[in-house]
This record gives sequence, C-alpha cells and structure tokens, in this order.
Amino acid sequence: MASVAEMYDVGWEEMRDKLRKWREDNYRNSEQIVDVGEELISEHASKLGDDIWIIYEQVMIAALDCSRDDLALTCLQELRKQFPDSHRVKRLTGMRLEALERYDEANKHYDAILQDDPTNTAARKRKISILKAQGKSTEAIRELNEYLEMTHPQLYQAYCFLCRFHSYGKAAFCLEELMMINPHNHLYCEQYAEVKYTQGGLENLELSRKYFAQALRLNNRNMRALFGLYMSASHIAASPKVSAKVKKDNMKYAAWAATQINRAYKLAGRGTKENKCSMKTVEEMLESMQITMS
Amino acid sequence: MGEVELSCRAYVKMYLHTCLFPRCSINGLLLSSSPTGGAVCVTDCVPLLHSHLPLAPITQLALTQVDVWCSQTQQRIVGYYQANACVSDNNPTPCALKVADKIAEQFDNPVLLMVRKTEVKLFYRLSLTCWFNLDIFLLLLDGSKMSPDYRVPPIVLYERKDSRWILKDKHTIMLRQWEETRAIASQMMESGDHTLLVDFDSHLDDITKDWTNQKLNTKIEELASPANGNI
Repeated sequence: MASVAEMYDVGWEEMRDKLRKWREDNYRNSEQIVDVGEELISEHASKLGDDIWIIYEQVMIAALDCSRDDLALTCLQELRKQFPDSHRVKRLTGMRLEALERYDEANKHYDAILQDDPTNTAARKRKISILKAQGKSTEAIRELNEYLEMTHPQLYQAYCFLCRFHSYGKAAFCLEELMMINPHNHLYCEQYAEVKYTQGGLENLELSRKYFAQALRLNNRNMRALFGLYMSASHIAASPKVSAKVKKDNMKYAAWAATQINRAYKLAGRGTKENKCSMKTVEEMLESMQITMS
Repeated sequence: MGEVELSCRAYVKMYLHTCLFPRCSINGLLLSSSPTGGAVCVTDCVPLLHSHLPLAPITQLALTQVDVWCSQTQQRIVGYYQANACVSDNNPTPCALKVADKIAEQFDNPVLLMVRKTEVKLFYRLSLTCWFNLDIFLLLLDGSKMSPDYRVPPIVLYERKDSRWILKDKHTIMLRQWEETRAIASQMMESGDHTLLVDFDSHLDDITKDWTNQKLNTKIEELASPANGNI
C-alpha cells in the first residue's frame, strides 16, 4: 500500500503542518489524522522534536474515533513514559477506557484527577459524557448543573436566586453574561429563552423563540427547547399584533417543532406500553393547541 | 370548603418526590377521579418540577399535558402541592399561588398543599432508626426531641377564600389508615423506591420515562391493604 507521502507527494514537514492546522481548527477528520499521523510517527519521529508529544495526543484521540486501539495504546504509552504524573495524560487514559466502554475504570481516573484538582473542567466534562453514554440522562443533567455552578458559581447562583424572587430582568442579565463566557452551552440559551418567555410580551416572546432555536442548534435533542420553540412560535402566530408574514413564518416554525416532537415521542414509545400514553397525550396536546391558533 | 381527603397513592408519591430531591424546591399537581360535590378526594398526584419552578414555559407545558391526560383518564386537576428548598420555610411562594390561581379558573375548590420538609426529614430519621435499633427509637420518643406533630401528616393546607389563600384547619385533612400510609411511604423510601419516581422535569431529560408513574402506582397498590380503600 502506498504511503501518504507517496500518494500526495508531500514531505514530512507538510504532513506535520497539516496536522497542526487540523489541530488549531479543531477538525475532527479522524481517519485522515490517523493516516497522516501514523506515518509521521513511525517514520519521522526523530525529526519532530517536541512537537511529537502533542501529535501523539492528537493521533491517539483520532485513533479512538476510528477504533484503532492498537495505535491509541502506542501513543498513550509514549505519553505516559514522558509525562508520568500528568493530569492531561490521565484524562487521555480515561478516554481510551471510555472508548472500550470500561466506564467504571474511566471514572476512577477522572475522580483521581478531580481529587487532586477539583476545578479540572475537562475531567468533569468526561464524567458527564460517560453518564450520557450510559443513558443516565437525569444524572448527567445534575452533574452538568454542578459543573455550571463550579465554573461560574457566582453568576449562576445569582441567576437562580433572582429567578426565585421573580426578578426576571436581572436574571436575564446574569444569563447574558454566562452566554458571553460560554456561547456553546445550550443550557444557558434554553434558560434565557425560558426567562424571556416568562417575562412575556411580543418582543420577549420573539427573543425567546430565537434562543430556543439557538439551543436546539447547539443540541438538537433538548426537549425543553423543542417544546419552548413550539409554544413561543405558536403564541407569536396567534397574536393579533403581528404582520401576516410574521404569522406565517411562526406557524412554519411551530409546525416544524411539532413534527420533531411527535417523531421524538414515537421513537421513545417504541416497544414500551407505558410510553404510548405520553405519546398520545403529546399528540392530542399539539393538535388542540393548533386549533386555538388558527 | 369542606373536607379534603388524601389517598394513600397521592400522599406516598408526594412524600417520595420530596425525598428524591431533598435540596430542591419541588412541586406537582393533585388529581381526583371522583365525581364533584361534597368532599374533595385527591386520588393521585403528578410530580412536576425540581428546578426553576418560577419559570413559565415548562409549567404551562406540564399543566396542558396533564390536563389532556386527565381528560383521557376521567380525572380532574383539583390542586397543587409544593415543598420549598429551604427547610424552615413552609409558606407558599408567589409562583405556587400563581399556579393555584390558574387551577382555580378551572376548578371551584382547588387545594393548595405545602409539604413540611422538617417533618418529612424527621420521618426519615425515625424510620431509619427504628429499622436498626429499637432502643434508639424509644429513646427518641421519650427524649421528646421531636415535634409532637410527627404522628400527623407533614402537610399544610390552604384554601381559597375571596381570591386569597388562607391556612386551613389541620383537622379537615383526612387520610384513611394514616399509620399504614405512613408505613408504606417509609418502607418505599428505605428500599430506594423513591428513585423510581419520575417527575415532569426528569421526563423532559429523558422522554422514555413515564411521568404518570404507572409502575410506582402498582407497587403502592401491592403494599396497601384492601382496607385502605380509595387507592
């Protein structure tokens, strides 16, 4: 089989630079990384200098993605030899165990990191993904909330406190700060949308709809956001103050959300008798809300 | 407003909901399957939330869904229950009053129940100790370290008079076979059955979970004797 260097007519420097670019731009083209990285490591290791360690890490993660445990283990062992006490390497060890579905062992590694350094957000995030992988969604959400409290404790606590006392304007402000710090967090978007919805009024409803939509873009399985989108769009469409175009657009959003909701419930209801009840309830509810809208 | 009767199933599920989220404010809806008129008989409850109670969208969603389910199953929403996160605070929050008012639009004599967490916690301690060591149980009794009310259900009832909610006389809450209900609640708590309870919040986190709690209802029925009636 031809090597990467032969196939693409590139030298080792170009391969190294390519890997760096993919790293910096956060590409997840794992198969390519494995191909290029494996060759680079096995044939040009001595030329890479200190870059080799970060390349080992990058290739290891890509190897896990491609189920290449042999390669992942090789990289990991090199890293462990070089950095025996590193938390970063411990996390990689945990990730490999996760890929092998040895979740309890993986958790032990993450717990060890957190014992040493309770603020280590990377380890916390991995623990949350394990819970998600095991289908323990309630626990995952709880851990995520704890993570939010840890990372931005004052802001998040302020937000909860203000909500409890119905100070929605100020609560919204806290969330805006949180969203600026962490724009990829779908929970903040969804909470913000809920606060806006609670404040009420057409402008807030429109904002609420936008943020529910944003939360869905970040996580398309967030049921609260899906329902929220449906409800906010329906209310806007039903308002006498909106133009015909806005009404039409919002009816489209609501219809889309309704389809997604029905589909999610159908999927959930497969095989279990008790969930058929939720499914029927949701179907009927969506239908009844549509009647009042038109 | 006349008497309010609380069934074993409704009480146990409220209790388990409170125990499942000891550090959170929780709330839920009270349902009835008996005909209107006379005493209000709360035959079931639906646990709703354990986070961000004052926010509107999920509460509205839950109310609508429960309403639909009720019409499918010949039940009505007749009230609302809440337990506050802060153990020493048993007053209904503005959001509790809002939801209860909303229910009042549809049902003439809605019931607003606040669960007293101090006594619920006491419950748990008591049942734990009497499981492990009878002596300690007796000591506690003699030591009079507990509130003399422990034998009474840890709930506070409010009724609606002239669009205000006022505290109702404790003696108008009826629980048939109170000792047995209390025993069932403690037993289920001990055996970890409270983790089986699904509230609406948990359902939204994972929609395969059943917020009508059919499995739990069956368990409660199995434990209750026929004499407890009205399950």
